[in-house]
Amino acid sequence: MKGLLTYIPGSTLLHRLDPRTKLFISLLLCVGVFASSNLIYLAAVLLLDLLIGRAGNVFRQTFSIFCKLLRVMLFLFVLQLLFIQRGDTVVPLLFGLRITNVGIKTALLVVMRLLAATLPLCILLMVTKLDDLANSLVVRYHIPYKYAFALTTAIRFVPEFSKEMQEVIEAQTTRGVELDTRNIFRKMALIIPLCVPLLISSVRKIDGTAMAAELRGFNRRSWKNMTSSFRFRARDIITLVLAAGVAVVGIIL
Amino acid sequence: MIELKNVSFAYEPANATSGAVHGVNIHLRRGDFCALLGSNGAGKSTVTKLMRGLLRPTDGSVIFDGQDLKTVRTSTLAARIGYLFQNPDRQICKNTIREELRFSLMSAKVDEASHEELIEAQLKEFGFNGDEETATMSRGERQRAALSSALVSRPELLLLDEPTTGLDYLECKQIMECISEQNKNGVTVAMVCHDMELVLDYAKSCVVIDAGRVCGAGTPQEVFYNSELLEKASLLPPQLIELANRFELGEKISSAEDFAALIMERRRSG
Repeated sequence: MKGLLTYIPGSTLLHRLDPRTKLFISLLLCVGVFASSNLIYLAAVLLLDLLIGRAGNVFRQTFSIFCKLLRVMLFLFVLQLLFIQRGDTVVPLLFGLRITNVGIKTALLVVMRLLAATLPLCILLMVTKLDDLANSLVVRYHIPYKYAFALTTAIRFVPEFSKEMQEVIEAQTTRGVELDTRNIFRKMALIIPLCVPLLISSVRKIDGTAMAAELRGFNRRSWKNMTSSFRFRARDIITLVLAAGVAVVGIIL
Repeated sequence: MIELKNVSFAYEPANATSGAVHGVNIHLRRGDFCALLGSNGAGKSTVTKLMRGLLRPTDGSVIFDGQDLKTVRTSTLAARIGYLFQNPDRQICKNTIREELRFSLMSAKVDEASHEELIEAQLKEFGFNGDEETATMSRGERQRAALSSALVSRPELLLLDEPTTGLDYLECKQIMECISEQNKNGVTVAMVCHDMELVLDYAKSCVVIDAGRVCGAGTPQEVFYNSELLEKASLLPPQLIELANRFELGEKISSAEDFAALIMERRRSG
């Protein structure tokens, strides 16, 4: 997902909301989808996620993430279908396995829940500067700066590590490791030992980042040193109420 | 050996210009040592990745030994095309040099009966202790280890993406001498390089790339004495050639020896 989870500047309503509002909206939508077992509700939240992406002017990126997640979810869907053997048979399979009505419903629920819960968090990262998110939590809720920094740095490194992993895959493919195979299981078996180069570079990067931060007086920083001010405005309260409404509907259904 | 015929390629998103190439034609003959020159983002690394089959052209074709790379799986050519990345840590994934070399041979599906012989020959050639731990090596040594594992299967074509970046003079010289030796033994080399001194010393031909297009080609002398071409591609000639230009020697020198001989001759003739 290189370049997909990074901040995309803009001046939409979503960009202008307080970072905490966006975080709470994401969490409320998560609560809603995990509390509900109604497929129509989950489909509606998925649609709402895409609309939120459109409102934040990041629809193309949101849809791209949606499509990438869909591939992973398809794998999960098939696994659920094969492992859940309760309920009435819909399609009989070989070796005594069968696809059941319970299996289909549970698989759909899991997949849609995960999709509907992941997308708001991805949109949050695309319409919010990570520093703003961390600073708002530190200033308003006095979360220790160390933890906020660790969180934002971890998120910031995701696209970088993804890019590095791609480079490792390319390097090993040139040596003949069959990472260009279409067999997903073979690819997974081959990729695990190759995590070593990524691990080494991650440790080096973390070490370098920590040293650079300490040299710049990182340990002396706390919420008292922060000059940024964050406060809820009317637009924050309205959007939060709407998101809470969506979550409540999910809990009721 | 390898030919890029009217090759175009663009990274996603489609409007990204850095690294994209348009209608590139390059032909490397067996035994050639070609330097790919250009500023950052010009598309040099993209060209080497296209040559290796890591990227598939959106237009045109890459022909290696009569085979269109579009029809070949990248991993199957490992024994015939070696590739050295700028960062050796992307390649090295085993604890010792010996394991690393064996991993290369196994991945490239080289006949197992010849593994020990090839490994020992490679260790001897590079002066490595096979049990040395890769994690404790210096950056230059790791780069040499990555080079030795790219060469252990005796490839016909060697692609190098800035192989000397971050190395000191001695490490740089060791790497380049090794590559030059391989070239003398018949290995075709294509190298992305920002160090013009190295290009002048080792390359037999140059291809200059600017904004994804080939804007010039020739011998290093032809390229480095073409100030218009250098300016277009934002390149600086090697200091020796800069000095020759300032002295208005009027002859295309290619080494410090040539330069000194010419100066001495001028002094003698007054």
